[in-house]
Amino acid sequence: MHDALMLLAALLASLAGMGWLALSMDVHWTQARAAAPQPAVLVTTLRTLGAAALTLSLALCLAVDSPSIAVLVWCMTLAASTLTVAFTLTWRASVLGMLVFWTSQGAR
Amino acid sequence: MTSNTLTRSHLTRSHIVARTALALLGGYVFTWGVIAAGTALMYGAGMAFHDAEHLSYIIGILVYLGAFLAGFAAHKLRRVALVLVGGGALLSAGAWLLQQQLV
Amino acid sequence: MFPQFRHTMAWLHTWFGLALGLVLMVVFFFGSLSVFDREIDRWAIPDTRYEPQPMPSFDRMLKPIFETVQPNAAERAAVAGLVDGPLPARFDTARSWGAYTTHRDPVLTLFVGYQVPNAKDHETAVWANRTIDPRSGVALPDDRLKIGSGFFYPLHYSLTIEWKQVGYWIVGFAALMMLMALVTGVIMHRKILRELFTFRPNKSAQRSMLDVHNLTGVAALPFHFFFAFTGLVIFAYVYFPVTHTQLAPLHDKHEQVEAKQTGLPHERAGSAAPMASVDAMVLEAQRRWAAKGMAGDVGYLNVQHVGDANGYVSIYRAGTDRVQLAGEGIHFKASTGTVLREDPPPTLVARINEFLTGLHLQHFRHWLLRWLYVLGGLAGCACIATGLFFFVEKRKRQHAKQGVSGARIVDALAVTTVTGMLVATLCMLVANRLLPDSMPAGWPWRGDMEKYCFWGAWLLASVHGLWRTAPVAQARLAPAWREQCLAIAALAVIAPLLNWITTGDHLARTIGAGYWPVAGADLFMLTGSVLALLAARKLQRRDALRAAAPAPMLEAGHA
Repeated sequence: MHDALMLLAALLASLAGMGWLALSMDVHWTQARAAAPQPAVLVTTLRTLGAAALTLSLALCLAVDSPSIAVLVWCMTLAASTLTVAFTLTWRASVLGMLVFWTSQGAR
Repeated sequence: MTSNTLTRSHLTRSHIVARTALALLGGYVFTWGVIAAGTALMYGAGMAFHDAEHLSYIIGILVYLGAFLAGFAAHKLRRVALVLVGGGALLSAGAWLLQQQLV
Repeated sequence: MFPQFRHTMAWLHTWFGLALGLVLMVVFFFGSLSVFDREIDRWAIPDTRYEPQPMPSFDRMLKPIFETVQPNAAERAAVAGLVDGPLPARFDTARSWGAYTTHRDPVLTLFVGYQVPNAKDHETAVWANRTIDPRSGVALPDDRLKIGSGFFYPLHYSLTIEWKQVGYWIVGFAALMMLMALVTGVIMHRKILRELFTFRPNKSAQRSMLDVHNLTGVAALPFHFFFAFTGLVIFAYVYFPVTHTQLAPLHDKHEQVEAKQTGLPHERAGSAAPMASVDAMVLEAQRRWAAKGMAGDVGYLNVQHVGDANGYVSIYRAGTDRVQLAGEGIHFKASTGTVLREDPPPTLVARINEFLTGLHLQHFRHWLLRWLYVLGGLAGCACIATGLFFFVEKRKRQHAKQGVSGARIVDALAVTTVTGMLVATLCMLVANRLLPDSMPAGWPWRGDMEKYCFWGAWLLASVHGLWRTAPVAQARLAPAWREQCLAIAALAVIAPLLNWITTGDHLARTIGAGYWPVAGADLFMLTGSVLALLAARKLQRRDALRAAAPAPMLEAGHA
């Protein structure tokens, strides 16, 4: 059960990481935050958050399984997360806004 | 006169066949040479036999990929044919010679 | 080939991608199904729907069975051409006995390799196998086809074309072209990082197809590359048989050196010897593994030079907790049970090779990773399929104007390999439930009938595809797609339904009992049915909107 929860956390960390990396790009920021302008300093913050989350995901994977398996699990979570973030941006972009809840939303 | 680089209108069937043969068959010959020479060299240098074999396979497949792309990307058909086929033959011959020493 | 490097790469990607993409659809799809091949076996052979078992007693159960295993007609036919003179009615000298268990397989498969008298090459062996229930030793009837591990899996790596290994070569070539397509795709894709999360379904068909093609290709790029690469590494000895041809002398010398170094005899002594208790050897092996801090189950057991004084028993640990396959081999003298050799820790190169082959062959126990592998494999299918769709979309207007049928033919081929393949797969599972328990005399055996249903259904689907893609020649959408999606939606409900009717294992029962192999298969099919239905509806809507002006042509690889 403990392992299952850690792996779930790894998946979520990977998802958040990819989400933050996506939001650091103008076009996706606009999709998620409805045309509110993106401050430049936020781009760096988002990229850092993204990298940190992906690293956390790897650490969680390594805590559950032997290194050879953990690396594979982590790589595959990146693939799953990229696809999930992409489809979320297409159909429910505002959901991604949750990841940057502390910034203001633009006019709709 | 043959042109080695083409515009769309010069993309003849014979050129495509030549490039494909070069990339596939020439690439295969070159890869065989790399695998044979790699296995013999590494085993001769003291590596375990199956390790030498497997490492040569791993390198060989990546070499084949590169050779295939080179077969199409290279401007001069004749030069790349020489390298792939000639080089492969040389490497195989080298492996055979080395085998004579080791066995 | 072209003055511009990128142009050449794009040309290669398009044309070799198209040609081999049709083969790669099959390889990727059945590869994805093979992740759960043993679970599909459970669905197809209801008699085996029980829990995986540990390796049973060798002395009490396996040894008596091994002694009775003889090759069947097909296995005899495989070596008939390699002998001078007739094959004996019964083979007596067993080169080796092998058995291996997995944590996913309830049944146990036993392999015997017999010496072939009068063989042209003295290394020739004839192989026999039998599958048993490890709880009782009762053999599975010969006519039961393991649809997962015995059909879908071989289809994945050899298209089941065994003649002169032609199927292996076709798949190998396709795998090499997959690597080429990935490299050329990256070279062509100018904004690869910027467009990583981009999918625009509301734009033209071409744009949205290309977006999905790029997305599924790049998101799982390491997966696609490593699977094609490791697949080639696994069968490299088939494609480049260097050490059995040019370097055969070197190989033979090494075998002799190794036999002396390891103390494991290469040849039989020629004098008979009884076999000591193998169960005791298994216990000793497990004791030694535990002492090293890696307690585990037996994964693979092999007896070499059966019945001979030089005989030895090799016992390997099941690698369920890591990527490498079986390992930690311990070898015992067969007649006395003394330890001849404990395999030393693997070298760096051996570990790299085991990692690469192990990540592809998946003997590890990790359900999340398996499902992520299925996701990766299906992403690969989506990548190839959308590549085909993009090819057709981009050219069909042009071809319609020129009166050329290229786009229509490619669309027909795409129907065959995308929806046609799914139709064939489901028809085979339906046939598996509908065929009688044993076929009447004169009919092919049950397993062969299932295969005929598979290939027959695929043929029908491809004929239907050819017929119903005619509108593509006028740059319209082919009705074949929608029609086959509806067929898939129906079949993917019928198969689980038949499972319920013929075995009583409906979803409430299998989920309730936690019997996930069968529940998972049924759920997967039902999910597929829903997706096929949604796709059919979407295609209907798109066809209705098609009256609008044609979309502009997009160049792949240009922004």
